[in-house]
Amino acid sequence: MAVVVGLSALGAGLSGCDDPSGESGFAGLAESGGQAEASAFLQPKPGTRLVFPDDWGPHPQHRIEWWYFTANLTTPEGRPLGVQWTQFRQALQPRPAAKAPPSPATWPMDSAWMAHGAISFNGDHWFEEKVARGDIGHAGASADPFRVWLDDWELAPISESDAWHLQVQGDNWDYDLTLSNTGNITAHGDGGFSAKSSSGEGSMYFSLAHLNVTGTVTVAGRTQAVSGKGWFDREWSSQFLKAGQQGWDWFGLHLEDGQKLMAFRLREGDSTFSSGSWVNADGDVESLQEDDLTLSPTAWKESARGRVPVVWQLRVSGRGVDLRVKASPGEHWNAGLVSYWESPVAVSGSHDGKGYMELTGYADQAP
Amino acid sequence: MSGTLLAVERLNLAFVSAGQRVPVINNLTFSVAPGESLAVVGRSGSGKSTLLNLLCGLQTPDDGVIAIDNESFGNASDAVSIARWAELRRQLIGVVFQQANLMPALSLVDNVRLRTHLAGRHKQDERWWLQRLGVGDQADRYPDRVSGGQAQRAALAMVFAMSPSLILADEPTGSLDRHTADEVAESLFNVQVETGCALVLATHDSELAACCGRVLDLSAAG
Amino acid sequence: MLIRAFLSHYQRHPFQLAALMLMIVLATMLWTGVTVLTDQARSSLAQSEETVAARAHIVRTDGQPVGVEDFVRLRKTGVCVAPWLEVKRPAPEGQVIGVDPMSMACFGRSAPIQDAASLDGMPFMDIGDALRVSQEGYDSQLYLIAPRDDIELPQGYALRAFSLAPPTGELADSFLLNLDALSLLVLLITGLLIRSVYRLGLVQREASFELLYRFGVLPRRIRQLLVLELVVLTAVGVPPGLWLGASLAEALGTGFGQALGSLFDLTLYAESFGSLPWRAAVVMVALVLTVCLLEWVFPQPRQPAMVSAYARLGGGALLLAGALGVVLATELVWVFAGTALVFAGVGLLTPPLLAAVEERRSVRSGATASVADPLRRWRARELSVMFRQLALPVVALQFSIAAVLAVHALVTTFESTFEQWLGQRLAADFYIEVPQGGDSATAARRLNALEGLGTWHLVAHGKAQVRPEEAGTGADPLTADLMALTPITDLVSDWALLSSAERPWRELASGAVMVNEQLARRHDVEVGSPLELTIAGTRMRTNVVGIYADYGRPVAEVLLHADTLPAAFTPRSESFSVNKGELSRDVIHDRLADTWGAPDLQVRDNASIRELASQIFDQTFLLTRAISALTLVLAAVALLIMIWVFFTTRVWYFRLLGVWGLQGHQVRRQLRLLSVRLTLTITAAALPLGIWLTWVLVNRINPLAFGWSLPMDLYPVFWLELGLMAGAAGLLVAHLMRRQLERDANGERP
Repeated sequence: MAVVVGLSALGAGLSGCDDPSGESGFAGLAESGGQAEASAFLQPKPGTRLVFPDDWGPHPQHRIEWWYFTANLTTPEGRPLGVQWTQFRQALQPRPAAKAPPSPATWPMDSAWMAHGAISFNGDHWFEEKVARGDIGHAGASADPFRVWLDDWELAPISESDAWHLQVQGDNWDYDLTLSNTGNITAHGDGGFSAKSSSGEGSMYFSLAHLNVTGTVTVAGRTQAVSGKGWFDREWSSQFLKAGQQGWDWFGLHLEDGQKLMAFRLREGDSTFSSGSWVNADGDVESLQEDDLTLSPTAWKESARGRVPVVWQLRVSGRGVDLRVKASPGEHWNAGLVSYWESPVAVSGSHDGKGYMELTGYADQAP
Repeated sequence: MSGTLLAVERLNLAFVSAGQRVPVINNLTFSVAPGESLAVVGRSGSGKSTLLNLLCGLQTPDDGVIAIDNESFGNASDAVSIARWAELRRQLIGVVFQQANLMPALSLVDNVRLRTHLAGRHKQDERWWLQRLGVGDQADRYPDRVSGGQAQRAALAMVFAMSPSLILADEPTGSLDRHTADEVAESLFNVQVETGCALVLATHDSELAACCGRVLDLSAAG
Repeated sequence: MLIRAFLSHYQRHPFQLAALMLMIVLATMLWTGVTVLTDQARSSLAQSEETVAARAHIVRTDGQPVGVEDFVRLRKTGVCVAPWLEVKRPAPEGQVIGVDPMSMACFGRSAPIQDAASLDGMPFMDIGDALRVSQEGYDSQLYLIAPRDDIELPQGYALRAFSLAPPTGELADSFLLNLDALSLLVLLITGLLIRSVYRLGLVQREASFELLYRFGVLPRRIRQLLVLELVVLTAVGVPPGLWLGASLAEALGTGFGQALGSLFDLTLYAESFGSLPWRAAVVMVALVLTVCLLEWVFPQPRQPAMVSAYARLGGGALLLAGALGVVLATELVWVFAGTALVFAGVGLLTPPLLAAVEERRSVRSGATASVADPLRRWRARELSVMFRQLALPVVALQFSIAAVLAVHALVTTFESTFEQWLGQRLAADFYIEVPQGGDSATAARRLNALEGLGTWHLVAHGKAQVRPEEAGTGADPLTADLMALTPITDLVSDWALLSSAERPWRELASGAVMVNEQLARRHDVEVGSPLELTIAGTRMRTNVVGIYADYGRPVAEVLLHADTLPAAFTPRSESFSVNKGELSRDVIHDRLADTWGAPDLQVRDNASIRELASQIFDQTFLLTRAISALTLVLAAVALLIMIWVFFTTRVWYFRLLGVWGLQGHQVRRQLRLLSVRLTLTITAAALPLGIWLTWVLVNRINPLAFGWSLPMDLYPVFWLELGLMAGAAGLLVAHLMRRQLERDANGERP
């Protein structure tokens, strides 16, 4: 899962920077304004199936989608280093499959793109955001061959190989990584339909949880060779959250024994809605329901942008899984149009491991 | 009988305070002949000042008639009566208060000049009147530069200079020390007799009241 | 108990407490409003400058026009570039510029658009919408603009200079300096207003303080209580004032703008009003405490100090010293100090002077007593008393009217100067840079051969060493920008020259030179001064035949005819300014492009640049107008309160006129005559001060700060408007007092 940001605010220009609607963009899809239009957009339902290779590419009939990648890497000195890259697409107009995309020469404004790149290292966090209007060509995605790009940031296949190449440059930092998949596609929920509430809102969601990552990262004035484990998500929807949901807590964990755990909970007032997937070492997926899963914060941090839960207890009943998940030291805010927390985590307890945690809806205010 | 200058008949005035009617002037009848002097006495709050206000048209009675020089005024407060009362005050009725009878921005002689101008008299005898009341040498001074007694003398000079038929004086010596008060009162009565104008004098000072030809006790009347 | 006795005054005179509170609220409101508006004008100016500031644009080296594919190609190589589509729609709707705010995200602060609200079509709109406008049949041109001119580009692309208008430079700085000076004046006015109301109350409470002293309360304790009271009043009064000021400024800033916007099609860069300006609050609290507690540092005599003969003498001396200081000063700080002295002097002199004038009138009307109206004399005397007793608010209003006059003159002057300045630089219809290697002489010949072409000239730019002869041969020559013209046409001969010989342009054609104001002022060069020029190593002697205004250009500049140039001179750049006459832009473009073999020849359309630049700067001028309106309105309200309070203490004397037989309407007429005369007299007294202040701003502060002067214009129609407003304020006071008079004929006597 990644952040759903109110890209629609961008449609009117950069005002989104100080527009409070940026904050509501987290739940933006459930806003009343959105609901009226929602009919024109396609909405995933239980029973909707994944289709390959099309689902690697964009879904112009859906309102929102993203390509998301994190990696828990290690430097030659053995220090942990985390990277994140996400690219979002937000449609302002749905486009039926039969309809050709608008000509770039008309400077269309049917959709907008946004990309986030971040590095977490030694307690510091670097972040950069890029935006672009859609259908012009300098931002986009394609299914076959699979490519996602915005300006000079790009995720693309390496020719004559199954591996991918991810290239991101920030202000005084960059990374250049090779991603090799060693596992199957993990379809979450009901064959790819991942419910986000008990009343049926949800999204199409699949992951590549077994990625080997190598490459170089330049940060704090040093270029270092890195390697480690990566996690890739694809998710799209038109009606993601239901009204009143304030944010979510998401975890993608690599356990030492080769098993993977994806778990999230959505917060609505005092109640929560939890869901997840257990992937065993062979790649078999088991969908985790509300009853199977307990996610509870055990320690909080008073950060510059708000109070954040940085230590969690994750339990999966019937498997003897009882994990202590702890964010790496420092503050890991992605302070773009909307602020959210994105940090590497260390796992201990019944299993050791590492992974990534994403927390939304905790920032006091939009920057 | 030399006729009547001022006739008051069944005069009534009440204030409404906290929903209660509080009578101030209660069915009052009296008259004043030209050249006569009448003292109005009574406790504080018995309505002395109110009566004087009624007699010069600054207030309107609830009921009753006031006749000045055979011209009757009732409880009407229409524009015509108001204008007529103003004309009377300008030419016939001189009013003297306990203090603040003079415009502070004008010298004594300019005060008298302004008053006589309003009365329509252009005799240019202002200095003579100030002399007559004993403040001739203060004529070019400003009210805040002379003593209280001198200011009251100037106020009297101002009133006499307009040749009124009736003078209404509300405690004219009330703010002066005994000695000065006596001197001012003496001047008042002397000139009043000399000019032959009538005087209605509100006071709580029985000695001063005794100097008048007649006494009207509002406490008794009320 | 002591506190109750202490406050009993306000129990009996709640109106005075209300007046003091109101004054604190109003003063805070005024200062806050002005602060907010000034800040807004400042950022609006900065934003306007950003918008028109020089940037770069990217062209294809193959000469083909750039398109969306070039944009995409550049972005994908990581170049920060944004599309800029100029759609040449004629008036009244006017030109629009299509932009893509998303791709401008990488421009940071230098993005011409910071705010989606600016995408309102005046002139900016989303590029997709702008394109649709162009498809209604208007010419359009796409530029790819870049934030800086030092970025690396992929093969096939090159950077060119790009700007919406010439940089405003010191013109803007000067405007802001003047704005600051006026804000200081507003603070002074505010202080005077508060102090006057506070003193009025204090004088009336002296008797009760005296009584408390007799009861054994130490004066120190009374002072402590007074300070406490003031602190409480300030704490209560400042926050609402702050809020009101900010709201009012917002209403003025936006409402004003919207009204004018819809009337005149002006652009508004409404900067969003942030939180309350707490800095203004701190200044205000300090001001209130200072002006009110001044009392304890310098005990005041009963008679206001401003009226004593001693003060009159001091006032005269201050005025003289200040005026001399302003005239003779060679440094800015002394001009400011001199101005402060003049204000102090005028403040001390005005009340006794006005009082004396009324005194004279009263004497005159008494001299011929037989025909004179003693009532007129009384009014003159009353006014004379008022000018003494209302000295502080009278001076405050005088200062505010003077400030308003100066702001008005300044803003109007800046506006017209700005227009002239734009006009001077953008006189012709088009501006065409001669490309590198292009032959200007051939191009000039071919332009000459074009039938129906309007006037045009060629300007060669370079450098020259200049040594004024007066400076002596030992002095170091200075480097000046050189502009060489040919031919001389009405494109330049219409310039307003600051001073010139009899036929300056003819003499220029035969070898003389003109210099800009900057060079003339800084190096004492006058018309007729001999000048030694060194151009391309050739020394020549010539003389100055004209000095032209060049608002805000900090560099010395010499203008001469191209024929005067030595043969060795090679220009740094050359450009044609062309009036198209009967020809179309395309014909001229094609002729020149053909001459130079440069199909990507850039033709800048001066008329639309000029229109755009003035559109963009209009916002700033709107805001400064709002500042002057606010100052005036609040000063008038303050005076209204003061006169009202003052009249209330004298209401008995108006009633006395009634006792003496004046009818109600006659008394009210006296009241009207008095109050209208009071406000009109103050306005008249403010006029010379306002004109003087304008002169100081324009002719002293500006030349000292920036080396050039603005033309000084006077606006008598505005004086008339001010007079009408003052009269209206007087009538309003009379109207307010009328109710007080009628309330109870038997009212309280002093």
